Amino acid sequence: MSVLWSLRSVRKVPSTIAAAPSSGVGSWDPRARLVPMTQPGPPSPESVSAAGRGAVLGIGRQQWADAWAGLKAIAPLMPGSVAFGLAFGALVPALGINSWTGLFASVSVVAGASQISIVESLRANAPAAIAVLTALIINARFALYSAALGPVFSAFPLRWKLGLAHLMTDQAAVVALQHVDTYPDPVRRRWFIVGGALPFVAVWVVGTVAGIVAGPVIPDSWQIGFIVPLMFIAVMVPGLKRPEDMVGLAVTAAVVLAAKGLPFGLNVIVGIVSGIVAGTLFAEWADASRARRGMHQQTVAEAAEHEAEGGL
Amino acid sequence: MRVFLIFLAAGIGTYLIRVSGIALLSNPEKIPPRVRRALSLVAPTAMGAIVVNSLFLDEAQWRAFGAWHLAALVAIGVALWRRSAGWSMVAGAVAFALLIVAGL
Repeated sequence: MSVLWSLRSVRKVPSTIAAAPSSGVGSWDPRARLVPMTQPGPPSPESVSAAGRGAVLGIGRQQWADAWAGLKAIAPLMPGSVAFGLAFGALVPALGINSWTGLFASVSVVAGASQISIVESLRANAPAAIAVLTALIINARFALYSAALGPVFSAFPLRWKLGLAHLMTDQAAVVALQHVDTYPDPVRRRWFIVGGALPFVAVWVVGTVAGIVAGPVIPDSWQIGFIVPLMFIAVMVPGLKRPEDMVGLAVTAAVVLAAKGLPFGLNVIVGIVSGIVAGTLFAEWADASRARRGMHQQTVAEAAEHEAEGGL
Repeated sequence: MRVFLIFLAAGIGTYLIRVSGIALLSNPEKIPPRVRRALSLVAPTAMGAIVVNSLFLDEAQWRAFGAWHLAALVAIGVALWRRSAGWSMVAGAVAFALLIVAGL
């Protein structure tokens, strides 16, 4: 799923946002949203009165409205989530993995690329440690999102921080970062974020279930395994813009093929690490050249923005 | 059980990565530039490694040239042309289906 939105707003993340009272489901207090903010765009009087008119399932109407806005913001990206869930799900029975284990994977890891890498490791009879390590290296990109989201979530109650962290897919993180200025109020902001992130993970899980169910009836002649390179080509190629990406990718490809004789699919992890090192060194060299010409260095938000263009 | 434990470990590790900055970082610009650059390269290199490994290799041996490579070329071409993951997926899938039907 290519996400080509600007994250310029995240560079204005409020560091002094006022901490609103904790107000989870069933305990929401409309006054919480009236805490003075240092950022523009407080809730309108209309929205405040609407929130106070009543609650549904113990959740204030304003929260429902904010969650709905979050859902609408991420909805265009959901078909990709379903398709990728289908792809992963179809691989589960093909490798003889227990269906419940496949479902558990999508609920617990919530990161398609790494889940497929584990499947590939299992196919290569790799030791468990290598399968897990490869998956965690692929998921290291979430550290970048997490760093960018730290200030965005800073005024949230701890339980919200811990819960939302699990739902931060590439797409949900980008949508959250994009709407920081629209929702300066921490209460409204967190409902907006959960309104997008939770359904996005839900459709990913639904796609996985559909793939697990449909997988066994797909004939071998369809060569369903092609979905793996196809999905990653579709996600990765549109986001390839920076020279360091090309350098990293070229080195990765060369090392993966040159090291194909390594056992347990280790050529993949060696290729990834080699590409990261080569790309980083190239980027430092390029940055030094740009600095000599007086151009700016990349911020974390810019790095997260680029990351999101090819994330899963 | 072994596969379950692998996914469990990956899930726990991934969650710790996801929560790290949210729980600890109030100023993301504190991340050293070198680490920042390396993290930004994880996605293209990881995805590239999986593409190359699955496209050109089959159980550590070279995959015979055929529908996989041709359909991948179509998907890459459309991805570069339209800069769209959706169109790339559709074009690659259609091309692959046609090539399979054609007996390649």
